[in-house]
Amino acid sequence: MRFSAALLLVLAACATAPEAPPGGPAPPTPDAAPPPVSRSENVAVAGLMESARADVAAGKLSTAAASIERALRIEPRNPRLWQELARVRLQQGQHVQAEEVAKRSSSFAGSDNALRAENWRLIAQAREALGDADGARAARESAEKLSLR
Amino acid sequence: MWQRKKILRTAGIAFLVLLAGAGAFTLYLDHRVRTEFEGRRFALPARIYARPLELHAGLRLALPDLEDELRELGYKALIEKPDPTREAEGGWYVRSGERLDVGLRAFVFWDGPQPARQLRLAFDGGSVSALTDTEGREVALARVEPLPIGGIYPAGNEDRVLVRLAEVPPHLVKALIATEDRTYFTHAGFSLRSMGRAALSVGSSRMQGGSTITQQLVKNFFLTPERTLRRKLTELVMAVLLEAHYGKEEILETYLNEIYLGQDRDRAIHGVGLAAQYYFGKEVQHLTIAESALLVALVKGPAVYDPHRHPARALERRNLVLRETREQNAITMDQYAAARAAELGVSRKPGFGTSPYPAFLSVVHRQLRRDYDEADLRSEGLRIFTTLDPRAQAAAERALTRRLAQFDKDKRFGAPGLEGAVVITDPQSGEIQALVGGRDPRYRGYNRAVDATRPVGSLLKPAIYLTALADPARYTLVTPVDDGPFVWKSRGAPDWEPENYDKKFHGMVPLRTALANSYNAASARLGTDLGVEKVLATAKKLGVEREVKPFASTLLGAVELSPLEVAQMYQTIASGGFRSPLRAIREVTTQEGKPLQRYALAVEQAFPPEPMYLLTAALQGVVREGTGQGLKAFLPPELGVAGKTGTTDEQRDAWFAGFTGDRLGVVWVGYDDNRAARLSGSAAALPVWGDMMAALAPEPLALEKPERIETVWIDPQSGLRGVSCPGALELPFVQGSAPRDMAPCASPVDGAVEAVGQTIEKAKNWFERLFSR
Repeated sequence: MRFSAALLLVLAACATAPEAPPGGPAPPTPDAAPPPVSRSENVAVAGLMESARADVAAGKLSTAAASIERALRIEPRNPRLWQELARVRLQQGQHVQAEEVAKRSSSFAGSDNALRAENWRLIAQAREALGDADGARAARESAEKLSLR
Repeated sequence: MWQRKKILRTAGIAFLVLLAGAGAFTLYLDHRVRTEFEGRRFALPARIYARPLELHAGLRLALPDLEDELRELGYKALIEKPDPTREAEGGWYVRSGERLDVGLRAFVFWDGPQPARQLRLAFDGGSVSALTDTEGREVALARVEPLPIGGIYPAGNEDRVLVRLAEVPPHLVKALIATEDRTYFTHAGFSLRSMGRAALSVGSSRMQGGSTITQQLVKNFFLTPERTLRRKLTELVMAVLLEAHYGKEEILETYLNEIYLGQDRDRAIHGVGLAAQYYFGKEVQHLTIAESALLVALVKGPAVYDPHRHPARALERRNLVLRETREQNAITMDQYAAARAAELGVSRKPGFGTSPYPAFLSVVHRQLRRDYDEADLRSEGLRIFTTLDPRAQAAAERALTRRLAQFDKDKRFGAPGLEGAVVITDPQSGEIQALVGGRDPRYRGYNRAVDATRPVGSLLKPAIYLTALADPARYTLVTPVDDGPFVWKSRGAPDWEPENYDKKFHGMVPLRTALANSYNAASARLGTDLGVEKVLATAKKLGVEREVKPFASTLLGAVELSPLEVAQMYQTIASGGFRSPLRAIREVTTQEGKPLQRYALAVEQAFPPEPMYLLTAALQGVVREGTGQGLKAFLPPELGVAGKTGTTDEQRDAWFAGFTGDRLGVVWVGYDDNRAARLSGSAAALPVWGDMMAALAPEPLALEKPERIETVWIDPQSGLRGVSCPGALELPFVQGSAPRDMAPCASPVDGAVEAVGQTIEKAKNWFERLFSR
């Protein structure tokens, strides 16, 4: 971090593109931006999510939740897994947990606004189910705002 | 004449009455035998398992650690693959270099059975690089059977594993019949011959018991162990009745499950099913002739012929059983010779009684009692799948035991020695991975991790700083706070004048420094400025559920919590403000594997992400430059560990609570009798924490930066902006709360540098968003 600050100093002073020092880390370029935190590279996680989806389709929600929890033990910071769990909680009728788990998902979402917008939509559904119309509306508005960004 | 007739008549009546009485008694016994034998179901303990190890490519697990876990499960290390039968059964592994072939045993998990299967694992440094089957096909995920870690037992801590007669190898049954009751399959419940032989053999070296298998079962089942003639008669009658009602196979099967075959500390080993596991680490159907003979030898006296304690006696008795079996022609001469030549073969691993992890088990038991009847837990054979991580548990036990022994040696304070407790949890899910209740982890008693509530000292300070940081308009990490002498006056109470640990006052210091060095005066002033009630409300939201007195002194930790409660509090910090109740159980199933209950992961956002992020950064400061600096000797600074030391008055209690990316740990060290330990948190608790975490190769703590947090380069001297100042620090602030002014040492272009930095940051975010669509 300190290093990139020094680099910026050079950048500001010369206003020309600096050369990367040999052997040093290259400055971040847009092309090298970290891949979005989307689907897991991990086959174990992918397999568990597949079986979770199959269980949801078969109406076995508790088993599906268990598979997602297993996946979360492997990748506890994957916002997509938390989002899937929120979706299952919603279907299980655990609306308060659905909202909290969706928030947990957003806390790991970084700049993935589409994912965060989807979490707000899940929260809106949870609040609707709880009879909180105002809260649901506010959640939908948050979703819209994020979608526009 | 008359007289004689009268006597005869009286005798006749008496005889009839006696007969009627005997008849009634027999009827009563018959009723008892039938109702009790039929209604009798063996009480089966709840069986408790550790978490199963989940194998997959990418798993951070060193090969020796996997070997440890497999050995712990009783897997055999082999040079090459075993014969096809053994191969298919599983329970073995072959290591060649950085590769491991393993035959996993079949196991019924809570979500269904998993058959035995063979896997091949390749390792690269500290992780699994590939997981395939024997044909080289990729396997996504495989569970290793979980380690059994104890049970919740019926009265007398009777433990057994039920078996069907068909599962018991015929040579075991033959050896039993030959030794205990040769005419079993033909007699009617008793044997006059063997009773006679028993009477004759009194005093001889080959003394005979005289009781048939049926009588022995009746004795164990229905009667008390007194030795009277009346009881002997009752036993006889009941044995005959039992035989009249039930078949030979049924009685034999019950006997094989009932028979007492050993004692593992406080746990009573009943039945051949459990005895096979306990003595030989295998299922009953796989017992050899020699092994079966040893179990039969134990029938006569498990203590006298204990193969662990009296191997010579046990061997002699086993060979006697073999000879009797041979005499009955139940085995061939070759089989006899081979079995006689075999070693006792009992597993060397010592038993741990009801559990090797009594402290963790007591937490499991308490959580179960909320949802289940005690009687059901002790008799229904429930299967409990817990969160215990044997590797974390071993690391915690080792670290605590070794360090305490060393402190005792250094201090020479005499007996009883220092005590301690450790809790390790998973910060994201709240699962309890390890729990140590004292310096002897096997001791089944006082569980300090749960039952010892001790003053927490500075461990409560994060609640003060979190309360402050939640108000970014007033407080940031660099806000100056006053560490001058502080007096708190309240009516009806003596003045409170907290001192600092180094007995000095430090004047105005940045907020993060006050926490890093755990300054008491500054923290007390800050806490009382914010309001004691408000700080305690924060503590409550963090998970401190105990009723806490709203005194100012509470701010500096005059509140008593157990290590587990402290873990709950720090859990909320470690997970970025999401509170998860600490859990020790994942699933419960019936004996047959039918799922009964899942203890699901639950979260609740207790705090917004921004102040939590700031607090965690400050707690990383504690380890980087404050009272937790000592961790440098244990863990690389790049891990970014966040933590807090705690020391109470006269150093009676030493604490360290902290977390990495994947583990949260709380350590307490002190004396049970509250003596001054003269050891601070950083001197006593921190080394235990450091030892155990170093053994677990933790993941770095990488914080998810909330959207509304920005980082600014700060001059540590002035607390103002200044990228180019000496020792400048990049610190997080809630947007708009960072100082606006430039430090005197800042260069004129610093502002421009920041502007460019921010532009690049924005562009980066824009691109990230673009690509995440």
